[in-house]
Amino acid sequence: MAEPKPKGSAIKSQKPNMMKVLSPYRGMIVWLIVLALLGNGINLLLPKLISHGIDSYMQGHFDMQKVILQFSLAALGIFIFTFLQSVVQTYASEKVARDLRTQLSEKISKQSFAYIQKANPSKLLTNLTSDIDSIKLFVSMAIVSIASSLCIIIGASALLLSINWKLGIAVITIIPIIGGTFFIVLKKVRALFMKGREVIDRLNKVINESILGAATIRVLHSEKPESEKFREANAQAKDIGISILKLFSLLIPIITFTASMAGLTILMLGGHFVITGSMTIGEMAAFSSYLMLLIFPILVIGFMSNVIAQASASYSRINEVLQAPELKDPGTITEILRGDIELKNITVTYGEKPALKNISFKVDAGSRTAVIGPTAAGKTQLLYLLTGLIKPNEGEILLDGKNIEMYDKESFHQQTGFVFQDSIIFNLSVRENIAFNEKVTDDLMQKAIDTAEITDFVNSLPEKLETIVSERGSSLSGGQKQRIMLARALAIDPRILLLDDFTARVDNRTEQKILQNLKENYPGLTLISVTQKIASVENYDQIVLIMEGELIAKGRHEELMANCPEYIQIYESQRSTSL
Amino acid sequence: MDYNLGKVGDQSAQKKSSYAALKKLISFMDEERKRLVVALIAILINSTLSLLSPILVARAIDQFVQTRQYHGILVYAGILATMYLLALGTSYMQTKLMGGVGQRMLFSLRNAVFHKLQELPVAFFNQNKAGDLISRVNNDTDKLNQFFSQSLMQFVGSIFVMTGAGIFLLFLNLPLGAAALAPALFLWIFTKIISPWVKKKNAANLKSVGNMSAEIQESLQNFKVIIAFNRRDYFRAKFEEANQKNYSSAIGAGLANNVFTPVYGLSSNIGQLVVLAFGIYLISIGHFTIGFLIGFLSYINNFYGPLRQLATLWANFQVAMAGWDRISQILTLHSNLNTVHAGANGAPHSFLEFKDVHFSYPNGKEVLHNNSFSLDRGKTYAFVGPTGGGKTTTAYLMARLYDPTKGHVYFDGKDIRSYDSAERSKKIGFILQEPFLFTGTIRENILYGNEEYLSHSNEEIEKVFADAGLVALLARFESGLDTKVVSGGESISLGQKQLVAFMRAVLRKPDLLILDEATANIDTITEQLLEDIIKKLPATTTRVIIAHRLNTIENADEIFFVNSGQVIRAGSLQNAMNLLMHDKRAS
Repeated sequence: MAEPKPKGSAIKSQKPNMMKVLSPYRGMIVWLIVLALLGNGINLLLPKLISHGIDSYMQGHFDMQKVILQFSLAALGIFIFTFLQSVVQTYASEKVARDLRTQLSEKISKQSFAYIQKANPSKLLTNLTSDIDSIKLFVSMAIVSIASSLCIIIGASALLLSINWKLGIAVITIIPIIGGTFFIVLKKVRALFMKGREVIDRLNKVINESILGAATIRVLHSEKPESEKFREANAQAKDIGISILKLFSLLIPIITFTASMAGLTILMLGGHFVITGSMTIGEMAAFSSYLMLLIFPILVIGFMSNVIAQASASYSRINEVLQAPELKDPGTITEILRGDIELKNITVTYGEKPALKNISFKVDAGSRTAVIGPTAAGKTQLLYLLTGLIKPNEGEILLDGKNIEMYDKESFHQQTGFVFQDSIIFNLSVRENIAFNEKVTDDLMQKAIDTAEITDFVNSLPEKLETIVSERGSSLSGGQKQRIMLARALAIDPRILLLDDFTARVDNRTEQKILQNLKENYPGLTLISVTQKIASVENYDQIVLIMEGELIAKGRHEELMANCPEYIQIYESQRSTSL
Repeated sequence: MDYNLGKVGDQSAQKKSSYAALKKLISFMDEERKRLVVALIAILINSTLSLLSPILVARAIDQFVQTRQYHGILVYAGILATMYLLALGTSYMQTKLMGGVGQRMLFSLRNAVFHKLQELPVAFFNQNKAGDLISRVNNDTDKLNQFFSQSLMQFVGSIFVMTGAGIFLLFLNLPLGAAALAPALFLWIFTKIISPWVKKKNAANLKSVGNMSAEIQESLQNFKVIIAFNRRDYFRAKFEEANQKNYSSAIGAGLANNVFTPVYGLSSNIGQLVVLAFGIYLISIGHFTIGFLIGFLSYINNFYGPLRQLATLWANFQVAMAGWDRISQILTLHSNLNTVHAGANGAPHSFLEFKDVHFSYPNGKEVLHNNSFSLDRGKTYAFVGPTGGGKTTTAYLMARLYDPTKGHVYFDGKDIRSYDSAERSKKIGFILQEPFLFTGTIRENILYGNEEYLSHSNEEIEKVFADAGLVALLARFESGLDTKVVSGGESISLGQKQLVAFMRAVLRKPDLLILDEATANIDTITEQLLEDIIKKLPATTTRVIIAHRLNTIENADEIFFVNSGQVIRAGSLQNAMNLLMHDKRAS
């Protein structure tokens, strides 16, 4: 599925400069380049030493010891410098990667729920992993390679020209030929790379869904169609891989051939010069060696241009996240909430259709309100609004008479407990799952555990509270997960408690007990509960009926029974429940 | 069977050498023999050509440049030019064929991994973190991909050129050649000693990458909890920890991978020095010529140049091998849910029968203890009981998502294990507690895996829905059948997901339909529609319903009470109520 294109045109028009990432590491980068240049510089001397050796031997004043000493020193120098370079390069690239990850995660951690949904968690995962990897590759390989390649190309060319400028020019012509071929081929390859990336994304999506939906696939025996889906994407990936390969299999022979032709030129033209006496044999040998030196850096620059292209594409994706406007938190009120809640003409649009239309109702502090309505009526959205997970497109929400926006987020969340409909259990110990908020004391936690009726369950665990429960909580039943989540919400000792279909997976008896516990242990708590069961909420202070995003009726059970046909219909559908 | 990859990995990782792993990897190349032969011939010709040319150059210098015969140079240049042209062709063939082999190997490898994922049972997915699995299949195969698509050709080519150059060196002058190659022997030993360490470092790094992505996956998927509980710092702290761990392991792997290049470079230079000094000595005693010394120096380059490339490639290879190890950990697992031969030993005649069934999780916790009961065809059964009592596990055993640790489950007159998975899933419909929707449309999700309607047109599908009485349910979706499902699925509510799972199961017309709290988040009016639909199913359909709401179970023909690992007949609804209210809790 195509990702929606980023809208921030201001960000797009000005291409983010990847070099900016590097500026805090200037010192390291300079060291990196210096070391690379030193190592490669000495490398350039070697053919010169060889040719000197041969020539001096030919001329009869060969000093074996001196040659060995010089050569050994040079070799040692190269070894030390390349080793140091590799160390610096590893540290530099990993530091850049780590710091970028930290920056990204901090930015993400400050974003709103809506942003995360829109940006898509799996895309953010790619940002934090593959995209950072390609920048890492840029730092660890491209910078050094390009600096040293340029150094070698320029140095070797200069030396070639200094030995014999005519032959030098003839040999150097291979640089633009190879460069040009590269340019043409890589341009085509890059387009294929982009396509390849998309296919890999699709491939990954099939893999992800097949892992997350493993149970569903087993039950429906759809392993085959899944494999088909995968095979198809995989075949595409293979085809693109082969197309890229075809281009490369043309590129490399052409380059080798061009280089060989330069070698031939050295033999013919150089041979001619030696015969006419304008060049020595040693110099001719040096020419051959320099040619060897020259080819590799040209190849490297070609390949690195690709690394750079990928890295800058990755960086602009990362930059998009980094530049996204941050969530503003203008709220300053930190007072303890009484719990009066008022929704005024709230409209929420999700996609094209409004999920909630012009909803208004009031909840008194310390009262209990139930929200009922059919599937997909917008009940969960209503709770999301009250936690500040989403914001209304129109209308306002008042807490104790003041707009919800005016409250300090930290203090607000500290006083609002939310039990989500879907089970979310972290891969932590039961204790950490319940005392998820830091400010939870042992007493508060114990009270929450008792209220949620999980004392016996916790005691039955092998390591009690310290037992690690797994990611998808496979060892826990649906009801156990639900009650751990309730304990998590209660442990912060909230003033307002929001329950989203909490009773769906908890049996009646436990439900009754929990509700009783709530009344006793958390007096004065304002409760808003989304539910399907009327029986449990008949004695609530208020029942709000929502259908297709619209508020149909509000009032006590008796009032609704008296004048709301939709409510009566729902009641009738559950009548046998109210034994 | 224990499917925990963390444990599997600990046991096997150290024992295997690169070679054994490589051998298994190469088995994916079986179908490529013919192409490989052609490619190897091309490589052989190409290497020979590129190795012959320095000899010709050396001869030309010795025989013609030094004696100033330009005509001879031209003849040799002509020969060389022809050879270069030929090399152009063979080099093209070599790259294309070898690269193709790599791509196809990767293709079959990925398929094999995915196929294995499909083959493994639910228990495997429950025992491993989704983020880590995803990292293994995506990230680790990508490491292999990088090796195959970028390094393999170079790898093979380099080895050939290097070997050829080595042979030439020895052939041209045995003592000088041997001396020149001596540093390579040192390299070989060095590489052999250090490779396991490098691979270990890379394996550690891949593991920390896996952990990090599992961390990100968990936090981002559950971001609403993080916001609602004001624990943005939790996300930061957890991530920072994983990030820092990854940093340390990446530094370790990076340093290990970079150790080869300087050492190989040094050896190459020592080789050159040896040739220069020893060669000049040999010339001085008349055993060698200047032309051959120059040629020899080229061969030294031909030998150590590829060797230096191999240094870089070797590191890539170690990374790929570490990735491969992690993947092959998955590949070595086998599903313990095999299809067995239907034994003739008196399978009971009831529709579904549990006989002395025990079930424990790998961590030893016993969930079901010695249960026997039977269900008849065409009846409706309700399973009630407190949470954590074993209801879902019982249902999993009925659908053979798990096998009992002890005892037998018989289905339709045969051991349930004797049905193959196609037959079993056709007969048993299971609506899971937490349904999963795939990216696509509601239509695709409802008809997902249903071969019967695969080729139906839109009108035909609509008729099918109308016949099954599902049209009213579709009204619960914004754009009906065409409502889009995007990954993450936050736009579809839990109740809607349950509706999709319901329609999905009903359209498959199973003999046994299991609903595991499958309608818990659906409102009661819609639920009545579901009940009507269930009632309209053929009289032979057996229904097993796990639920908390009494009105969902009061129409059941029989009620079972599940608690503390025991499944017992509750008799009447009233008795079930009493048990629920007064029986000792399991949790």
